[in-house]
Amino acid sequence: MTTTTPSPGPWHPLIIFPFAIALRAILLIYGRWQDTHSPFKYTDIDYLVFTDAARFVSQYRSPYDRATYRYTPLLAWILYPTTWGGWWFEFGKGVFAVGDVVTGAMIWWILRRHFGMDVRRAGQFASIWLLNPMVANISTRGSSEGLLAVLVVALLWAGLERRAGVAGALLGFGVHFKIYPFVYAAGFWWWFGERRRSVVEELNDVLGMVTRERGKLVGASAGTFMVFNVGMWYCYGMPFVEHSYTYHLTRIDHRHNFSVYNTMLHLSSLAGGEGGFKVESLAFIPQLFLSVLAIPALLAKTDLASTMLAQTFAFVTFNKVCTSQYFLWYMVFLPFYLPFSTLLKKPRTGITALVLWVAGQALWLQQGYELEFNGQSTFVPGLWFTSVVFFLVNCWILGIVVDDVKSRGRDVVADHPAESKKDR
Amino acid sequence: MRQRITHLLPQGTSIDPSAIKVTDDGLDFDDVELAAEERRITIGLKQLPEEIQAFLEDFHELHIRIASVLNHPTFSPAVSRLPPGLHAFFTPRAANADTGLCDGLKKILGESVKCSNSSESFVKPPILSERFAASSTYQFYHSPLDLAVVSEVLKTGVCAKLDEDSTLRTLCETLAETSSATQVDYDFDVISHAVTVTILWPPVDRKGISRSRIAAKKLEPEDRLEVGILSPEKADEPEELSMGGYLTVLGEDERPSLHPKLTLSLPASTLQPPKQSCALHAYWTLPTALFIDPYQLSDPLFLASQNLLALRSLAGAQDLEAPDWAIPYPWGSAALFELATPSNTTSDEIWTITIPTHLRYLNSTLAINSQTPLAIPWPTVFWACEAEEGLKFATNPFDRVDLGFEGLFGPRTMFYHVPADEKVDKLVELLWVPVLERGSEGWVGVGTLLAVLVGFAWVCWRLVRGGGGKGVEGKKER
Repeated sequence: MTTTTPSPGPWHPLIIFPFAIALRAILLIYGRWQDTHSPFKYTDIDYLVFTDAARFVSQYRSPYDRATYRYTPLLAWILYPTTWGGWWFEFGKGVFAVGDVVTGAMIWWILRRHFGMDVRRAGQFASIWLLNPMVANISTRGSSEGLLAVLVVALLWAGLERRAGVAGALLGFGVHFKIYPFVYAAGFWWWFGERRRSVVEELNDVLGMVTRERGKLVGASAGTFMVFNVGMWYCYGMPFVEHSYTYHLTRIDHRHNFSVYNTMLHLSSLAGGEGGFKVESLAFIPQLFLSVLAIPALLAKTDLASTMLAQTFAFVTFNKVCTSQYFLWYMVFLPFYLPFSTLLKKPRTGITALVLWVAGQALWLQQGYELEFNGQSTFVPGLWFTSVVFFLVNCWILGIVVDDVKSRGRDVVADHPAESKKDR
Repeated sequence: MRQRITHLLPQGTSIDPSAIKVTDDGLDFDDVELAAEERRITIGLKQLPEEIQAFLEDFHELHIRIASVLNHPTFSPAVSRLPPGLHAFFTPRAANADTGLCDGLKKILGESVKCSNSSESFVKPPILSERFAASSTYQFYHSPLDLAVVSEVLKTGVCAKLDEDSTLRTLCETLAETSSATQVDYDFDVISHAVTVTILWPPVDRKGISRSRIAAKKLEPEDRLEVGILSPEKADEPEELSMGGYLTVLGEDERPSLHPKLTLSLPASTLQPPKQSCALHAYWTLPTALFIDPYQLSDPLFLASQNLLALRSLAGAQDLEAPDWAIPYPWGSAALFELATPSNTTSDEIWTITIPTHLRYLNSTLAINSQTPLAIPWPTVFWACEAEEGLKFATNPFDRVDLGFEGLFGPRTMFYHVPADEKVDKLVELLWVPVLERGSEGWVGVGTLLAVLVGFAWVCWRLVRGGGGKGVEGKKER
């Protein structure tokens, strides 16, 4: 690595940020135009769910009166201005797009402050998120993932700053907002332990695991989580609990999706109660073992950001339901992982991974298209086989990520035994 | 017991009164083959078998309507239509009380019927009109089934148990002969304390085969029997202006998808409304296998692109995500659409209306090449017109109410039904739906398990592997 600071060139924040904002503004206006002129809508169906729920809220009704609203009522509240009509309808997409850009700004800031990058490199890597057309497209179509990305990156920032209370509060709120961030609790638990003690050492001294920081983390996260839940439960009662939480445990929605378990779940649901014990009811074991136990325990103390990436990647890959918006959940961590990853250092591996990842999806999508629009029964072997291929590709990539973080751990320990990475 | 037999002739048929012969079996005249026949039998509650009396005790009113899938011409005044299949409308005696209806339906239609004895397992259509405030509370529909099935069940399950030579046995056998009918209605309500059965037989069928006639005889000496011949005069009634018939196609082009569209094709030239105040509607009953997404149909631009004006009412199973087997009841859904009409009704063009639907995943026991057939009824298409102020609705002896949609209209509405294209045989569409067939559980299970184990083991190995190659390499590169 060079020590002279190269000129940021086109990667200066004064260029990439206006560019990112303009990209989203154009997509917003274009979407509005397409929606008013074409029966085929730019706006995501989920956004109509949110805005319908907001309308119910504005009439002092429950957002859960809208079928398929399965989110915190806060989302409907935030979108209250969309009920004012006209351009206000786009308000929510604007909020999500702003969330996107704020996420990008936080990524840039973390890269500068905690990864010691110069302006040019920070701009380049932040652009993976900021100028990513997929990200801008998803948020301007009205998917709320942009807001979640803000929370998750803010959580990372709080962790890197070692602010346990703030991290706990963000974590609790994040889980309230969308369940999956609970996996980060495990990573943060280890992260807020004593840096020099390995997990094995810690486990040998269970009482010594309880530290002030961890106490703050647990207290703040549990407290925030419960405050929001009790508040929402007070407002909307059991429908809130059912739609936000228990629905996700009992869902029998087998519409084809990327998950490797999909065909198996479809078949066993067809069989109904017959057949006794179901193997797929154990699907949570490999998923949670990796994302909550093994990955955070072995990697969190080394590199919090990449651990969060690996946890999310494992959670999504091994999940019983998987759609393309879930990919955004881990994409937000790529700017922190790619700078030192094998995928960039060895372009061959990187390109192979990218091509396989895209091809895995393309193969599956082709089978899905045959089913959905041509009425061909491609459930087996088509959809099943391609989902297995995509799953294995993801596992292979996850293995590379894990490997990279481990080897980075050895480097960091060797090079910088100090607490802060700021001067790296 | 009362019987009324009416021979309905096409409009303009002239009958020579001298040619009408009164025989022992009723009336005979030259054009008897051309006439549709409506037979209405009214039976006092006390005359019915105890089992049926006990069954009816649960109901305040019960209307069962069976519409054939065969497309028969209709003659005024028997013009009202329902989507083919079995419809039931009822109000339990006590609000929301259980009834034996579901058990009865299961006897006739098989165990797979989507209902339970609780009234709440049926669809409660919205009632928007005062005029029909007395409309039945609950609705049931079972997608196209042949009248022959009902006949068979009646014959073997009911008639055989009745005393031979009894009046009821004769009546029951008459009802069992209804497999050639266009429609059969069974109506009961507490106030009239009677069951009315109305059967409409078509004239000679399109293949020129005449049906077997049932003699018009009193079942008991004290019965009343009315026989009549009706040939509508050319009247100034607006419905006489109508109607060219319509065609429907499901799944549109030859590629069926998981989102089939129903296409209604009407000759534009026939879409002249009977009166200025009329609006064209389609009423559709759907099994749970198909559903309509009300949110998709709330966007005016999208509606306009399908030549729809609005989804006026949707009742029943509306879950947008659940597979078919996860919906034990209700039986499906009923939808009322207001259709757009062409601005230019003088052209010869075909006016096309599409109704987008979505398929649920189906659990199929019968599949060929992983596709299972699904029978979807045609909707009925009709004009709903506001009656002029001051017009009294005279009681029409042929009026047929409780068709499921009256309650959705204003208090003074007249309906003019648009018949289907007479060239079409059956008012039902067969759709081949892709399904996941049972039987692959074994290798899918093993394969999935294997894939998960391999993936999981690979990641675990990467996690626990000690100071292996890549780590050292990474260090060297620095």
